[in-house]
Amino acid sequence: MTTMQTDRLVDDYLSRLEAAAAHLQRSRRAELIAEIREHIEAALREEDAAGEVAVRNVLERLGPPEEIVEAAEPAPEAEQRPTGKLEVAAMVTLVVPFIGWLFGIAMVLISKAWSNREKTIGTALALLAVVPFLTLAIVDSYSESTSSTFETLLFVLWVIGGLPSAVYLGLRLRRDR
Amino acid sequence: MHRMEPVETRKSVSQLRRGTVEYCVLALLRGGARYGFELVRELSGVDGLVTSEGTIYPLLTRLRKEQLVTTFWRESESGPPRRYYELTDAGREALDDFAKEWARFRDSVDAILSKEEG
Repeated sequence: MTTMQTDRLVDDYLSRLEAAAAHLQRSRRAELIAEIREHIEAALREEDAAGEVAVRNVLERLGPPEEIVEAAEPAPEAEQRPTGKLEVAAMVTLVVPFIGWLFGIAMVLISKAWSNREKTIGTALALLAVVPFLTLAIVDSYSESTSSTFETLLFVLWVIGGLPSAVYLGLRLRRDR
Repeated sequence: MHRMEPVETRKSVSQLRRGTVEYCVLALLRGGARYGFELVRELSGVDGLVTSEGTIYPLLTRLRKEQLVTTFWRESESGPPRRYYELTDAGREALDDFAKEWARFRDSVDAILSKEEG
């Protein structure tokens, strides 16, 4: 009965820890809980006691779970540059010609994950994709007899025009991880 | 917990702690690899260094991520295997740098604080 009660104390403590750590990355949360569990087990073995008082003392010394999680929180500067769904969506959208570029650029500008400099370069790269399209339009309107390989090349450049921007922005994100 | 410290003081002290305690961990590892649990117990035994034992674990994780320490498991004579922490070369270097800067910083702060008093 006593063992069950003390197990209960430890379990309660660990679930409080898990709840407090809800915002941490899953792997980080699991690691933290495992370490704290190891600590509790080691402490009880060290003291060669498993009674309620011993368990309560060990948990007391560990401190409130919320405090532990607070110490684990990422530094504020890392918090200002989160990678989330918005960033992934922006990069995917940038690859889609036209509408995609517009929406992609809008999402990049909204995001807080990139610095202003990175946003400028990313936007400029996306706008570069317009060049083959305009060239194609001009060539088309001035002559009916352009070589089709040249047109195909421009067309391909136009379709993949958003890629450099998406790749650049993606690499800038990974650099910080 | 219930000491009569103004909020501002407590904030400053906790920021100071945040930046310095990790070097205390590195310093405790200078003599060689150590069992994590013992490391935490020793650190928490020093007056005013950490608020609770639990907060040391996130710090150890951070040091590992920054590759200033490495961990490994070692068999124990009693009970399950134990997680050990060890300084890396980068950790040793960071510690040496900090120790020099800290001595300068501490002397300067002490000098100014005592001047204000006198």
